[in-house]
Amino acid sequence: MNSDKRQKRKGILTPSSQRLTMEERVYRFPWGLFLAVLAILGIGLGVLYSATGGDSNILIKQGVRIVAMLMLFFMLALAGEKVFRHNAYLIYLLVLLLLVAVFAMGHIGMGARRWIDLGIMRLQPSELMKVALAIALARWFHDRNVAKGIGLKDLIGPAFLIGLPMVLILKQPDLGTAIAVAAIGITVVFVAGLSWKILLGGFVMLGAAMPLVWNSLHDYQRRRVETLLSPESDPLGAGYHIIQSKIAVGSGGVLGKGYLSGSQNLLNFLPERHTDFIFSVLAEEWGFVGAIVLLGLYAIVVARGLFICMTARNRFGMLLAVGLLTMLGLQVVINIGMVVGILPVVGIPLPLVSYGGSSLLTTMVAMGLLAHVSIHSKSMSRTV
Amino acid sequence: MLEDEYERFRIDARKRVLLLGGLQGGLFLLLAGRLFQLQVLKGGDYKDLAEDNRISWNPIPAPRGRILDRFGQVMVDNVPDYRLLIVPERAGPLMPLVARLRKLVDLTDDEVEGLLKQVKRQRSFLPVQVKDNLKWEEVSRLEARQHAFPGMMIQAQSRRNYPHGNSAAHLLGYLGEVVGRDRERFSRVAFRSGDLVGKTGMERAFEKKLRGDEGISEIEVNAVGRQVRQLRASQPKTGEDLVLTIDMALQQDAEKALGNRAGAVVVMDPRSGEILALVSSPSYNPNQFIQGFTSNAWNTLINDPKRPLSNKVLQGQYPPGSTFKMVVALSALGEGVITPTQKLHCPGYWSYKGHRFHCWHRGGHGWVDLNKAMSQSCDVYFYRIADKLGIDQIHAMAGRFGFGQTTGIELGGESRGLNPSRNWKRMRHRKIWFPGETLITAIGQGYLSATPLQLVNMTATIANGGTLYQPSLVRPRGGYEPRVLNHARLDPEHLQLVQKSMEYVYYGRSGTARNAKPETVRAAGKTGTSQVVRHRRKTEGGKPIPEEQERFKDHALFVSYAPSTDPELAIAVIVEHGGHGGSTAAPVAQAIIDAHFTRRQLRWERRAV
Repeated sequence: MNSDKRQKRKGILTPSSQRLTMEERVYRFPWGLFLAVLAILGIGLGVLYSATGGDSNILIKQGVRIVAMLMLFFMLALAGEKVFRHNAYLIYLLVLLLLVAVFAMGHIGMGARRWIDLGIMRLQPSELMKVALAIALARWFHDRNVAKGIGLKDLIGPAFLIGLPMVLILKQPDLGTAIAVAAIGITVVFVAGLSWKILLGGFVMLGAAMPLVWNSLHDYQRRRVETLLSPESDPLGAGYHIIQSKIAVGSGGVLGKGYLSGSQNLLNFLPERHTDFIFSVLAEEWGFVGAIVLLGLYAIVVARGLFICMTARNRFGMLLAVGLLTMLGLQVVINIGMVVGILPVVGIPLPLVSYGGSSLLTTMVAMGLLAHVSIHSKSMSRTV
Repeated sequence: MLEDEYERFRIDARKRVLLLGGLQGGLFLLLAGRLFQLQVLKGGDYKDLAEDNRISWNPIPAPRGRILDRFGQVMVDNVPDYRLLIVPERAGPLMPLVARLRKLVDLTDDEVEGLLKQVKRQRSFLPVQVKDNLKWEEVSRLEARQHAFPGMMIQAQSRRNYPHGNSAAHLLGYLGEVVGRDRERFSRVAFRSGDLVGKTGMERAFEKKLRGDEGISEIEVNAVGRQVRQLRASQPKTGEDLVLTIDMALQQDAEKALGNRAGAVVVMDPRSGEILALVSSPSYNPNQFIQGFTSNAWNTLINDPKRPLSNKVLQGQYPPGSTFKMVVALSALGEGVITPTQKLHCPGYWSYKGHRFHCWHRGGHGWVDLNKAMSQSCDVYFYRIADKLGIDQIHAMAGRFGFGQTTGIELGGESRGLNPSRNWKRMRHRKIWFPGETLITAIGQGYLSATPLQLVNMTATIANGGTLYQPSLVRPRGGYEPRVLNHARLDPEHLQLVQKSMEYVYYGRSGTARNAKPETVRAAGKTGTSQVVRHRRKTEGGKPIPEEQERFKDHALFVSYAPSTDPELAIAVIVEHGGHGGSTAAPVAQAIIDAHFTRRQLRWERRAV
């Protein structure tokens, strides 16, 4: 009774009675989030054109993908309220099956088995798993009363949900994505109410296990960490990326060298510059100003995501939103951190900017779901 | 879910979300701070660095080591590969240039298209490749008219070359572009994409030794990327040569003897385990992997039912058929279940527990002793001694000859074959061992399977008096040191009986290989025919299956060693779907033995003169 009154006083709709018509959904569409995403995509296309040395084929290909993904974005955002919650486990299972299928029929590239060839694009199911896991975990905790905090017993189910895909992804092998999946999972569990004791215990155990992890890394992975500490020791090998990328970013200065005139970029000093190292092209040609603008746009998306999370209509929406915004923020931090030489080189693309289908698909699905949660949120807020 | 409960959850979760948000905000600020440090504070320094990011490091590839046979004949080497490059800004208008070049070199439309694309993409002072793999005539024609083509360069690189083409391809292996797996395999070596590494065979097994160390040339480049001068260069270190135990002449004899039939031949020196020839047929040309395949040629190669890409000597697993009878005979003699002169009657079959086990000779061999049983390959004799022996004894003796174990030869990917036992069957099939299975094992059928390498090793062990050597392909510089895998601990008398009976396979009146006797030396051998389909159907849909239908034909096997006193060669031959061992496989061994000893004789005579 009490809370009902409070809500009425505040003019908030009661969630259980809320069924939004399509017009209402469109009316509540989060334009701010959408515009920020659109701006990042636009910047991405511009930088891609420069990074590929004016290759219009790649530009057109990515453009077509973006248009397709925007349609998908709207579809997800405007979907009915319970679609994702009700089908959460089904979605998770499907993506898990795709991961298994990678082993049966996956395409081998760069020494790992990560892709399934769909003809029009190569799908990397481990990317999709990030979203599927967030959906499944959100549903899991939505269904359970964990008001007293999550103890060890409550962790058995989630541990399976997180562990299963992780093992499959580690087998590919793809350490970077496996860690990302784990981070998303842990974040959702944390917000769902993981007890502080367990969290602290986990950190202590992780710290103790570090030497073990170090020993189990592949030689080339260890070298990446070592070269981060002294990239100059191996200028032609693993240190090359870091040195050249730092020079590109640094030499951009405050205002940059101007569009299509980054010498590091043009002279082929930057390897993989249209995928994982695309940020250094932007930083070289647009300088500190350009880099901060892009970083700011990401910050807007993350902040908007946090707001959506706070106002979510139920536990499912809240947990899903937090999983998705963690995914985006984490990838931005890891990718840019690697380009500016404060994190080891791992193959993580810059969301919405790097060239490539699977990453774009995953991020746009995540953004669509975020908008979806926002549309069906508790408040009628139309703030940007 | 109750509203109140959600509210309570929300209050706690809000705190947690805010904490996460704060954390992310902090990380974003950290990135912004780092960008500020690099671009604003140190931007000037980095600008200088980029401005005279003058040093461009270019690798100078090291020539790979050569691969030689035991007499120093080159099996794999490197040849210069000439590439035609042009610098667009100095070469003038492109299309007329292409038209003029076409008069001198063979340019395909694809190559021209690739060139145009490259020119558009690159800055005009950087050289662009027009064509690689130039023929020698093309190079000389171009060089003669060099003055007419400003901005033209001809660059020599070293390219891997397999002068004997298809010959010994499975042994030597081929090169391919490096992929991630290779990087992990050779963690010490720095690779760039496009680098070639050994993918199979010796090229793969000895990659580290063959590869050498690449050099680095440091070239000064000005602000727009034009090369100014070379600052420093560390010279590449050529890879080490690899000397094999292979006798190239014998290798080619063996290839010729087998022809283009699917199968395998392996020749070993029974005194040391050195492999003298290793043939897997059909073969492929490793040069094609360097020059590139058309997709058509590639598909034909990988879809060929005769599996040209697999190394049948190491990876093919075949039921050894009657070539396994030596092992059973030695086991029976050792256990005393039979004496050499004891005779058993073969009416063409043996009735055992209500089943008829047939001899290959339906008419029967009559009364058979050990010698006759071996030389005429009587199955009934072996059914009966196997029944007295039991599978445990046969399994143990086969183990002493290396069945069911890898040999540890330098090439990877070796199959183990299968030496069945009670235990194995219990673990694998969760069933007990049936006595009837012992009988078919004794004639080399049933679960039993072996690689041609294991068969030659067995033969060499019989030939040399009972030492199982580790087969080896490489002669180290300091001389070859044989490695012993096992001493078979055989009674010399028993061994001699078996050796004698193997001579009768050639020289006995009804010996199964009497029509394939070598002319140069006295030899010993054993035929084998292994069933491809256990119970071969003679008809399909009421119609008889024609005899020549390949996939149903038996495999033909033959093992041999020569000379029968002081053996120098041990040979195993398998011809897939070849029919009978005596008529198909034995002549292959005969040709190899005769070619080898004729050549040796010639060498002697030449020395004598």
